[in-house]
Amino acid sequence: MEPLAPFSVVAPTSLAAALAALAEPEARLVAGGTDLMVNLRHGIGAPRTLVDARGVAELRGIAAQGGGLAIGAAVTLAELAEDARVGGRWPALAEAARLVAAPAHRAAATVGGNLCLDTRCTFYNRSAWWRAANGFCLKHRGSVCHVAPTGNRCHAAFSGDLAAPLLAYGATVEIAGPAGARRQPLGALYREDGAAHLTLAAGEIVTSVQLPPQPLPARYAKARARQAIDFPLAGVAVALGMAAGKVAALRVALTGTNASPFLLAGVEALTGAVPDAAWREQLGKLVQKQVTPMRTTLLAAQYRRRAAAALAMRLAAGLAGEA
Amino acid sequence: MRNERTVVGRPTPLIDGIEKVRGEARYTEDLPAANALVGRILRSPVAHGRIVAVHTGRARALAGVRAVVTGEDCPHGYGVLPIAMNEFPLARGRVRYRGEPVAAVAAQDAATAAAALELIELEIEELPAYFTAEAARAADAVALHDDRPGNIEREVHHEFGDPAAGFAAADLVREGVYRCAEVAHGQMERNAAHAAFDPERTQLTLWSTTQVPYYVHMMLARTLGLEASRIRVIKPFVGGGFGARVEVLNFELIAALLARAAGGTVRLALSREESFLTHRGRPQTEVRLRLGMARDGRLTACAAEVVQRGGAFAGYGVVTILYAGALLQGLYALPALRYDGWRVYANLPPCGAMRGHGTVDVRFAFESLLDTMAAELGLDPFAVRRANLLAAPTQTMNGLRVESYGLAECLERVERASGWRERRGRLGPGRGLGMACSHYVSGAAKPIHWTGEPHAVVHLRLDFDGGITLLTGAADIGQGSSTVLAQAAAEVLGVHLDRIRVIAADSALTPKDNGSYSSRVTFMVGNASIDAARQLRAKLVAAAAARLGVAETEIEAEAEQFRHVNDGRTLSFAEAAQAALAREAGALTVKGSFTCPVEFQGGGHRGGAVGATMGFSYAAQVVEVAVDEATGAVAVEQVWVAQDCGFAINPLAVEGQIQGAVWMGMGQALGEETRYDEGLAMHASFLDYRVPTIMDSPPVAVQIVESIDPNGPFGAKEASEGALASFPPAFAAAIADAIGLRLDELPVTPDRLTEALAQRKRAERLARSRERAA
Amino acid sequence: MPMPPEPMRHFQLNGRDCAVPAADHALLLETLRETLGLTGTKQGCDGGECGACTVLIDGVARLACLTRTGECEGRTVETIEGQGVAGRLGRLQRAFHEKLGAQCGYCTPGMIMAAEGLLRRNRSPDEAAIRAALAGNLCRCTGYVKIIEAVLAAAADG
Repeated sequence: MEPLAPFSVVAPTSLAAALAALAEPEARLVAGGTDLMVNLRHGIGAPRTLVDARGVAELRGIAAQGGGLAIGAAVTLAELAEDARVGGRWPALAEAARLVAAPAHRAAATVGGNLCLDTRCTFYNRSAWWRAANGFCLKHRGSVCHVAPTGNRCHAAFSGDLAAPLLAYGATVEIAGPAGARRQPLGALYREDGAAHLTLAAGEIVTSVQLPPQPLPARYAKARARQAIDFPLAGVAVALGMAAGKVAALRVALTGTNASPFLLAGVEALTGAVPDAAWREQLGKLVQKQVTPMRTTLLAAQYRRRAAAALAMRLAAGLAGEA
Repeated sequence: MRNERTVVGRPTPLIDGIEKVRGEARYTEDLPAANALVGRILRSPVAHGRIVAVHTGRARALAGVRAVVTGEDCPHGYGVLPIAMNEFPLARGRVRYRGEPVAAVAAQDAATAAAALELIELEIEELPAYFTAEAARAADAVALHDDRPGNIEREVHHEFGDPAAGFAAADLVREGVYRCAEVAHGQMERNAAHAAFDPERTQLTLWSTTQVPYYVHMMLARTLGLEASRIRVIKPFVGGGFGARVEVLNFELIAALLARAAGGTVRLALSREESFLTHRGRPQTEVRLRLGMARDGRLTACAAEVVQRGGAFAGYGVVTILYAGALLQGLYALPALRYDGWRVYANLPPCGAMRGHGTVDVRFAFESLLDTMAAELGLDPFAVRRANLLAAPTQTMNGLRVESYGLAECLERVERASGWRERRGRLGPGRGLGMACSHYVSGAAKPIHWTGEPHAVVHLRLDFDGGITLLTGAADIGQGSSTVLAQAAAEVLGVHLDRIRVIAADSALTPKDNGSYSSRVTFMVGNASIDAARQLRAKLVAAAAARLGVAETEIEAEAEQFRHVNDGRTLSFAEAAQAALAREAGALTVKGSFTCPVEFQGGGHRGGAVGATMGFSYAAQVVEVAVDEATGAVAVEQVWVAQDCGFAINPLAVEGQIQGAVWMGMGQALGEETRYDEGLAMHASFLDYRVPTIMDSPPVAVQIVESIDPNGPFGAKEASEGALASFPPAFAAAIADAIGLRLDELPVTPDRLTEALAQRKRAERLARSRERAA
Repeated sequence: MPMPPEPMRHFQLNGRDCAVPAADHALLLETLRETLGLTGTKQGCDGGECGACTVLIDGVARLACLTRTGECEGRTVETIEGQGVAGRLGRLQRAFHEKLGAQCGYCTPGMIMAAEGLLRRNRSPDEAAIRAALAGNLCRCTGYVKIIEAVLAAAADG
């Protein structure tokens, strides 16, 4: 087989050591490697050092935290999917974890890795030969975005599943770096730029995710061409609370459609109403208006828009019906 | 007769299965390569252009590089059809698709090989490139090949009977246009070749992932300018073929060129992306089909126009476009047929043969239109098929002979198994049942290279150890052909299966065989195996009779015993073998052969040999789907399939082959397609080429129908291709049954389905507003 | 440019102590196939898409094509070559052979190892559990029907 370009690996056991290692030039954090190793095999990036996150004590484990949960960034998707607390109170998160790729990926892939997944594009996730034959692209080594050649930004789509339910649950992330640690809403981790979708500063890493207590009932669903392996063409998490037959609280989060996962804006207008067919139509329209899928997948962008709306409507109907 | 059989007709695990489950089976890339150089191919980044220069000086100068070859090193064209050898192992003069090999290196390790490729500089002057059949056929298009102006590789115009009269006599005439995306084999093992060249002896040995070792042998001799006797081709275990490997492929020739240039051994293992670029898949096809039907469902005439986008080189193209027309016949009674086919060159990786070669896309069109018209006439889908059954033995208007025909029984079986009558229309919203039929040849009756030799030869060898060695050139690629050949010989010889060991597909040891394509092996090589076994049996019986001092006719040979029918005196197999060795002056070797009689080799019209076969398999299937209109997802819930394979020599393998064929048809119907952006392959990975996962795959209940073909070995016909082509139309019919929407384009991806639903909604809205206005 | 010597990696391989040189960037698939000559583990894609390279690490199915050899330090690694017992087929191997779960055989080692991972944690899986466990293993020959039958048979075989 084609060997990878050489790199060395360090395996720190403490956060401090990991941050120190990441401060070295051309160092990259790696955990399960299900995203990074594929890119390296395609010749995307050539780090000098990989810093293995999995031995870092501070990144491990799922712990109760003031009625909520703190999930270490190095927790695997398999662990997350099987955790009884997660499955019991935050089922949308467990569902999202279960729907990622396939079991052998989930046994390796981590929460932090899924949240910091590189954005994806059909002109980017290609071999070195292919990208060279295509003149490279804005995201890597090139100057043109083949998705929107007249524009000047990268439209590669964020395709991590976990971000959607975590956004819907109002999760925060803890970030550590050379300047210390901070906590912020998950949404602030991202920006709508496929070439630089993470707001992490140099040397910073996501260390954990906090799930607040008393979650709304929530569900996650994704559209994809096959029922395994595939990344989401559109992933939707809906959290919906009912009171007296009306929608009391609503949060909708989307992934796979834009350069970043995001919370649907303007859902306040949908609260206080009976979630009937007309209400669902309104929700669907709101989704269709805010998702901006581009030609980054082989399946049509218009489909991803439609599917996002359809899944949001279906999940909301289900949650309203269960309440 | 059937009851007396002890080996054939019994479910039999593959004789080479143990190696596979142990991980001991050595595929090409698994061969020991301690001293091998690493080969790599430099591929064209442009779709069409004149090669001005290929600068290799810097690559040659790199330490660790042992050979660099370009088109200059091989002036001999190759191709599977003698009339269309227009391909070169490495491009000469022009490049014609993105990914076409231009140069290759052999180096001490992979890193050096990769570095060497970077140092080769291509100067290419770009030419206009064409990625659709339409663009390639435009009046001002530059010809990809100078001898094919207009980029038409082959035009076919056939007429049988009187189509005009047939249409005139019809109660209903309908026309439809059907489009099928190009698909690829996606065999799990990536392409690889391992070439060893000995310059002292001028000898080449090549191991490769091939279905046709003999064709590879031929083309190695031709392209390297070597005498055939200096070449040995060995097929190790092969990880699937499905037609991808039924012609010599460029990487095999390149590996040999590199080995010769380096004077050593070269391993050339292609990436998955490169395996997709090597291609040879089923071409993108547009079918314009017109059928005439009487009120009772009988077909009166058929007219089909087929356009195939063939890619940059000829390959099997002429055969594919001929098959597409020929196999309109042979399934139903069709009194009049007009066929017009165009095979078109385009600047894309070359297409070739793929399971169900030539028939799949036209069958999708045919069965779909048949269904639509039946519905219009108020006929059940089963009824319209039954109205058009053939009566075997018969000969179709285009000269295809049908000696055995189990389609009626296939229909009966799947109608019953699926609960069609009780369940159809009662499955609830979003669920539906659809059905369709298909057929396929049991071997092309006329070989590509007509040399006067038999179509199949098997050697059997028996020596002092009492073991019987069966030598065949036929390539077992996972379909179980070696097992079938061993079963056939064991049955005739009256010995246990494990007394027979099979040595297959090594040109230094095994007799020539044309290869594993067109489902020819069971029928042709199976018959040769029977012939060889009969001869060996006769020798053993004669020796046993002599030893017992009785007449040969008084010897019964079964269960490894040679018994005198009257007095019961018995020789064991070992005793009989020893007697035969003494009598025959040493090891017994016999040669069995088989040749398709000329009357089976097709009609006299031009191209009439394509489609001709000694036996057609027949299949009918029912597909149940659940459609999610919101997400466009179609779940295939269950498939019931019945196939007439004549006789199931190995029912276990027959079942497995039928399931695999149905499922491959499902892949094409559900989501598989190649995609190109300006000729650059967008599908060249297993993420983008969506082979269905186990989560997407339904139970497939198989019914085996045995029509006992008069010419097949024990009555057997083919079993691994016939059922493929009826899946896509049955699937489309099931969707139509579920949601009232008939799709005429494959694959039915969620985006296509939701778009079709949106269009229907728009049309309905428009109709309503028109009504209101009126 | 002389390469630094490759460090030795130590792990249990198919029940035996194994010490093998492997650079930090070496992938387990490379080490198994090329350094150790265990070619039973296959490579069907260009990374993480087909499951043909599935092995067990500490009893859990993992993809050898995305796993660095260095990650295996101190762990147990199991491949198809470790499935038999004293030359006899393991239960999954036997079932795949007898039920024709293997046609061309190329996906078979990965398929068997993924199924082995399943049977370790679920002794009597139903069809849905089998599908879920094999969701990342592509097969191009069987349509998966006889693979499911084989795993069910192996489970019944206890």
